[in-house]
Amino acid sequence: MTALIETELFQFLRAQVVQRSRAPAERVTPDAKLSDLGMQSIDAVLLCGEIEDRFEVEIDPSEIFEHETVGDFAQSVLGRLAA
Amino acid sequence: MALFHLGLSTSGHDPALALVSETGEILFAEATERFVQDKRAWGIVPDHFNHLASALKVAGFDPAGDRLRVATSWSRAKADLPVQLSDELLEAPDVTWVRELQADMHRMAGASLMRLGVVAEMPERRHFDHHLCHAVAACAFAPVEDAACLVIDGEGEVGAVSLFDLRGRSLKRRWRSWGPGSLGALYSALTQLCGFDWRLGEEWKVMGLAAFGTVRPDLRDALAAMVEVDNGRLRLADHATITKMTARLRKAARAPSAPIMEAADLAASGQAAYALLVDRILADCAGNGADSLILSGGCALNSSYNGTIAGRAGFERLHVPPAPADDGNAIGAALLSYMETAGTTRVPLGDGSPYLGTPVDGRGGRFLDAVRRTARVTDLGDDSAGRLAACLAEGKIVGVMRGRAEFGPRALGNRSILADPRPAGMKDRINAAVKGREPYRPFAPVICAEDLPDWFDAPQPAPYMSLTLRWRPERCAEVPAVVHEDGTGRLQSVTAGDMPWMHRLVRRFGEHTGVPVILNTSFNVMGKPIVHSVEDALAVFMTTGLDAVLIEDTLIEKNPSAT
Repeated sequence: MTALIETELFQFLRAQVVQRSRAPAERVTPDAKLSDLGMQSIDAVLLCGEIEDRFEVEIDPSEIFEHETVGDFAQSVLGRLAA
Repeated sequence: MALFHLGLSTSGHDPALALVSETGEILFAEATERFVQDKRAWGIVPDHFNHLASALKVAGFDPAGDRLRVATSWSRAKADLPVQLSDELLEAPDVTWVRELQADMHRMAGASLMRLGVVAEMPERRHFDHHLCHAVAACAFAPVEDAACLVIDGEGEVGAVSLFDLRGRSLKRRWRSWGPGSLGALYSALTQLCGFDWRLGEEWKVMGLAAFGTVRPDLRDALAAMVEVDNGRLRLADHATITKMTARLRKAARAPSAPIMEAADLAASGQAAYALLVDRILADCAGNGADSLILSGGCALNSSYNGTIAGRAGFERLHVPPAPADDGNAIGAALLSYMETAGTTRVPLGDGSPYLGTPVDGRGGRFLDAVRRTARVTDLGDDSAGRLAACLAEGKIVGVMRGRAEFGPRALGNRSILADPRPAGMKDRINAAVKGREPYRPFAPVICAEDLPDWFDAPQPAPYMSLTLRWRPERCAEVPAVVHEDGTGRLQSVTAGDMPWMHRLVRRFGEHTGVPVILNTSFNVMGKPIVHSVEDALAVFMTTGLDAVLIEDTLIEKNPSAT
C-alpha cells in the first residue's frame, strides 16, 4: 500500500513539476534538485496546495522550500500521510 | 496558581486580545482600537501594554502567581512566503505594507509581558493557522454539535477560503484555497472603485449604497470574472482578464470627490457579484449531513448577503459570531491554546455573550460633580430600562454605556446610541446632531426575538446584528428610521434571557408607543471607534447634539437652563 502511494505521489509530483516548470519529464527524478528544475517560488507553494487536495493531507506552504530534491520532498509528504 | 491563555490577533490591522481560562472560558476579548481610540488601530500591537494590563485586571489575573500562555492568530509571517500569494486586486504598496505589519506583529507578539513584569524574557508563543482561528472563534458562539464551517476573508496563510467540518464539536478542515483569489480583496477593490477607502474599513458604505442602485449585468459580470470558483476554491483570473475587467470597471468608477450616488449602480453590481460568487462557494459546502452553516472571516460581515443564506444550499440555519473578522481571531488563538493544553479537540461552547470587553470604569462617578454644572444628573435606579424607554418615547437621542463592552464591530446595547425609530426624520436628526454619517446609510433596529414574525418576512434570530432581513411591507411605515432603501433592516434580536435589560427596554418602549422596536446605532462619531471610557462617552455627549447619556443607571441630560 505504502509503495503504491509512493508511486502515485511521485507520479503526481512529476506531472505537476513538469506542468509548472516546463522541464522535460525525464529530468524530474527523485534526485533532481527543485531549484534546478526552473520552478518559480509561487508555483512551488501552489504545488503544495495541489498535493493537499489530491492526497487529503495538510501541507505547510513552506514545506517544499525545506527540501532540496524532489525525492526529499516526496518523503516528507509520505511522512505526513503516515502520521 | 492558574493558567490563562492570551490570544492575540496579529494581522497588523484590527488587532485584539482575548483571555481564556484554564477551563476554556472566554474571560475577556476586546479590539485594540477601543482602548487607543484609533479606528482599526493599524500597526498597533495587539498586546498594547496598557490595554493588556487593564484586560489582565478585568480577567482576574494575578501576576504574582498565575501563568500566561501566549498564542497568535497566524502560523507564520506571511512575508516569508512569495508575494504572488497575495492578491493583485489591491495596490502593490498596500499589499507590502500589510505584509510587513503582519510580520512585525507576529515577531513582537507577547513582548509587552516583559514591560508588565509578567515574564523576564520573550515568552514562548504558540502560532495557530489563521483560518482555524476564525473557525474556532466562530464555533465557540454556535450552539450546535455538527455544522459546516466556512471561512471567507481577505487572506490566510495560503489562500482566502477554508471549509471545515464540525462534528461532535471537533473541527477538521475539508479543503482550503491556495494562491491568490480573494473575495475580501475583491470587495476592497470594489470599495476603491466606488470612491471609498478599504483601509478605513469603508466596505460598509458600499453595502449600504448598493440598496440605492440598479444591478448592471456588465459591471456585475466584470467583477465576478476576476475570481473563479473551482470546487469551492477561489482562483484569481489570469492577468489579461484582470487588466481587461479593471479597465471596464474604471469607466464606471467614482472619484472620491464626486456625488456618492454616482457609485450606486456600481455598488449594487458589486454586491450582486459578491453574492453570485459566494453562492458558488456555498454550492460546494454542503455534503457533511449538517444543516447548519457557521460563517466567519471578514466577509461574514456582509450582512446583506448573510440574510439570504438560510433555507438555501442545504443550510437551514446560519450562525455568524459577533466578531467574524480578524479581531475575533484573538479568541480563536486563545481557545486553540486552551484546547492544546487540555488535550481536547472539542471546541468549547461559551454562553453566547458578546459582552466580553472592558466594564464601565467605576471611577466615572468622579466626573458627575463637574457634569452637574451643565447637565441634569438623575439616578434611575432599578427601573433604568423603564425610565429610559419614556425618554426615548419623548424623542430623545440617548447614548448608553452599561456593563461590559461588546466584542466585535456592532454596538449591541452596551455602547449604543438609542432613539425612537418612528419619526421619519430621526435618521437625519441623529446624523446632523451626533453621528455625522452619510445620510444614505441605514440605522439598525433592536427587537424582541419573540416579535420577529410580526415584523419580518422570513424571521431568523440575529443576536449579533449579523444579517439583514426584509421588513414586512405593511410594517415599514411604523418604523421608517430603521428601514433601509431596499426595505430591509440589519436587526438585533434580543431575548429576556440573553439581554434582559435591553429586552425590558424594548418592551417598555412598546408599552409607551405601541411600537416595540428601538433604533440602535454605535456610540461613536463618524471616523472614531466606539467609546471606551466614561471620558469618551461624556466627550461625545458634550460635543454633539446627544440629548442624554446613560452611564450604568445614571442618566445625564442636557440642561438648557444650566449656565
